Amino acid sequence: MSSAGVVTQYASQLRALCGGEHVIEAPSELERYSIVGTTPALAVAPASQDEVASILRMANELRLCVVPAGGCTQQMGNAPPQVDVVLLTARLTEVEHYDPADLTVGVGAGFTVSQLSAMVRANGLLFAVDPPLPDRCSVGGVLATGGHGPLRHGFGGVRDFCIGLHFVTGDARRAKGGGRVVKNVAGYDLMKLLIGSHGTLGIITSASFKLFPAPRRTQTYIAEFYSAADAIEFRDRLLHSPLSPICLELVSPGARQLLRPSMDAKSWVVCVRAAGSDAVLRRYRSELGMAASRQVEGQSEQELWRAVENFSESLQAQHPDSLLMSLSLPLRDVKRVISEIEVVAEANDLTVAAIGRIGAGHLQAALWPLTSADATGAKLVTTISTLRAQLPRDASMMVQLCPAYVRTQIDSWGPTPTDVASMRAVKQSLDRHDILNRGRFLV
Amino acid sequence: MRFSALVDHLRTIAGRDGVLDRPEDLMLYEYDGGIRKSTPGAVVFPQTTNQVSQIMRLASANGVSVVPRGAGTGLSSGAISPEGGVVLAFSRMKRILEVDVENQRAVVQPGVVNLQLSEHVAPLGLYFAPDPSSQKACTIGGNVAENSGGPHTLACGVTVNHVTGLEVVLPNGDVVQFGGKAAESCGYDLTGFFVGSEGTLGIATAITVKLLRRPEHVATLLGIFETIDDAARTVSAITAEGITPAALEMLDGWTLRTVEAYCHAGYPLDAAAVLLIELEGLREAVEEQAEAVQAVCREQYAREVRRAKNEEERALLWKGRKTAFGALGRVSPSYYTQDGVVPRTRIPAVLAHIGEVAKKYDLIIGNIFHAGDGNLHPLIMFDIRDREQAERVQLASRKILEYCIACGGSITGEHGIGLEKRDLMPLLFTQGDLDVMLSLRNAFNPSSVLNPGKVFPTTRMCAETCGPAQHPVLAQEGM
Repeated sequence: MSSAGVVTQYASQLRALCGGEHVIEAPSELERYSIVGTTPALAVAPASQDEVASILRMANELRLCVVPAGGCTQQMGNAPPQVDVVLLTARLTEVEHYDPADLTVGVGAGFTVSQLSAMVRANGLLFAVDPPLPDRCSVGGVLATGGHGPLRHGFGGVRDFCIGLHFVTGDARRAKGGGRVVKNVAGYDLMKLLIGSHGTLGIITSASFKLFPAPRRTQTYIAEFYSAADAIEFRDRLLHSPLSPICLELVSPGARQLLRPSMDAKSWVVCVRAAGSDAVLRRYRSELGMAASRQVEGQSEQELWRAVENFSESLQAQHPDSLLMSLSLPLRDVKRVISEIEVVAEANDLTVAAIGRIGAGHLQAALWPLTSADATGAKLVTTISTLRAQLPRDASMMVQLCPAYVRTQIDSWGPTPTDVASMRAVKQSLDRHDILNRGRFLV
Repeated sequence: MRFSALVDHLRTIAGRDGVLDRPEDLMLYEYDGGIRKSTPGAVVFPQTTNQVSQIMRLASANGVSVVPRGAGTGLSSGAISPEGGVVLAFSRMKRILEVDVENQRAVVQPGVVNLQLSEHVAPLGLYFAPDPSSQKACTIGGNVAENSGGPHTLACGVTVNHVTGLEVVLPNGDVVQFGGKAAESCGYDLTGFFVGSEGTLGIATAITVKLLRRPEHVATLLGIFETIDDAARTVSAITAEGITPAALEMLDGWTLRTVEAYCHAGYPLDAAAVLLIELEGLREAVEEQAEAVQAVCREQYAREVRRAKNEEERALLWKGRKTAFGALGRVSPSYYTQDGVVPRTRIPAVLAHIGEVAKKYDLIIGNIFHAGDGNLHPLIMFDIRDREQAERVQLASRKILEYCIACGGSITGEHGIGLEKRDLMPLLFTQGDLDVMLSLRNAFNPSSVLNPGKVFPTTRMCAETCGPAQHPVLAQEGM
């Protein structure tokens, strides 16, 4: 059967399974679901874990390539050679369990981060994940990408508070890991394996989380510095102090201009967000002393953090052809890597904007040309390879966004300290026909 | 290869004094903190990663099973070897390889004792957060295998939240690295997946852990209650106040009297239950929370709330909690520690259920547990020589764990499955769930040379636990 014939056969199976209205075949509609530049042949929105399993079983029979998608806010990785089906999790929105007094909740993967946050906020609780575009970003997506925002500093990442999940493996087996309680060591920790696996091992259909009491009052202190090195020294003093802020974010001069284009910013800024009573906040002010030049609270504080969360969106809106990299570094190396990025940018006539949870060794760096030039793509490729060649031990540097040409020249993922053969063995054991996200990931 | 030849070979790898195989020596390795026994054929004490790798290569080639062992304090029979297997003991791999203050990390060998790491970095104002009750003896390698918890994991998280990198020897002898000093690494989080895999995937030979800054201020409170229900309700009431204590422990009346007789911690002899509550952090925050917690306790009818005035009083209150298990030895020839978990709002109900079970099976059951995260440790007293009583203990345990599951809980919060609970796994996971876990195990440990018989149920799966995983779905589809 021709490849088009296989897809036609599959489409009719999907219509029978999920209902015609949940299978998208019109090319004009499918463009919305294009995956790193590749438009799928079909999209389907199943309503249950059983339907997800059936979709994957049929895909295995026909050896089709499936890409799971939530809000499509963080679809990254290498350009897939082929996408037959985008599996949309938008209809998986059941609330599986929620008792505010237990501080736990379990929801379908299609729940958006905003919906979940609003649901628990009504009971004075916090779902401590604040990725970009929370109105679109799904719970399944934030798990699959290991996504995070500024709250990562104080509360940890999703790996630290996802307590259970249900998923379907690439080879169509329904499975669960963990459960509904906050402490549980029964069986393998499949949550850790699925989180950050970018939809290459299984499709997450629902997940349970630990919640936190929502802070009743917060304040943000802003410290300005002449150089990144000074800002990092401030971070080190803070990390050695008794303070434990809920957010600790570095914003470079370029990033400040990006977030507030009216601003003529020359200084590096560290934003420190504290939660607590008047007495606690007073203590923060006295510990930070002269370093904190300003403080914000209420509406303007909310706006500041929303802007930080949505850094990548502002970047795409203003500089659609920019390169955006996400780095995870040992704490000591943050300073050195920032300076290397600045050097490489200058050598290649690029502007830099950097932002990051520097208390956790996280950094996002964006680069774009000072003036539009023909050779930009080549310069960005050079930049990536130069930085990767200098990358410290144990560090990772992934390309989140870049122009299509650059994508064809580089590997989005880059080096990793983790043994690649072991990763391959894991992939093979859950997705033996390489159905999920074929050609996009490390393995 | 005959076993004696294998032992000779082990001696060429680990040195003449690095292998035990005389029956009187092996007896010391036939048990751990659990209740099962089995005598290994040899015990080997490697000193380097390379030796571990050579041992695994040798064992794999000869199909001899290997069971890694730390201090043997585990309660789920995780360090028990099959008869005639090789125990890989880590008491000679106990070096702290690196303390990296700038990166807030330490790199340790698996035989480093949990408390020794915290003591070693204490002059720097740092500590390693997971603090199992056995922390004076248990090893960090064992903590990694079991994903150990402890009283202070309520706020700080369990072992997996504190490990960022591992050097691992795979069953075939290959030495690989997962993660490193960065908080996250590109690719699958094999570090996170490995922690808690109970030694069924590989052997960690170097472990990169987070070091935390010691809190500036600590308040330790003892809430004394007339009824166990009041104490149990207080647990939810504290979190409803928006407070996450560093530790929130509960002892019931029977247990606290037994403990008090042993170590004189100052627990009241006539109370029905006490809550041991610890708050940590910024001085101002701790003081406010201490006030709020005392108010909550009183609202929930606490007879009295005491606060440790100094480090000495604090240490005494904790001594009662941490030596509780030792105290039980004075009153009962044997005891069985359970490890169920329930959502914290179900604590009053599960305690009532445990009371009924004790009555029904005519057993004394004490309760000491991590109330803050709903992790129960019912302690069932018995005499292991009394077979009929030992059977009742097993039945009572199962009833308690079934109730935990019915509440939406789990059969183990921190002790692991090991041999002890493998046949209860089907109560929590479907055959399909277990098949997926098994195919992951087989990706690393396909012939089950490493830690055979652990974690996976013996029933129904016995044919599949060795050799390549069967694939139920695809096989059914003729693939």
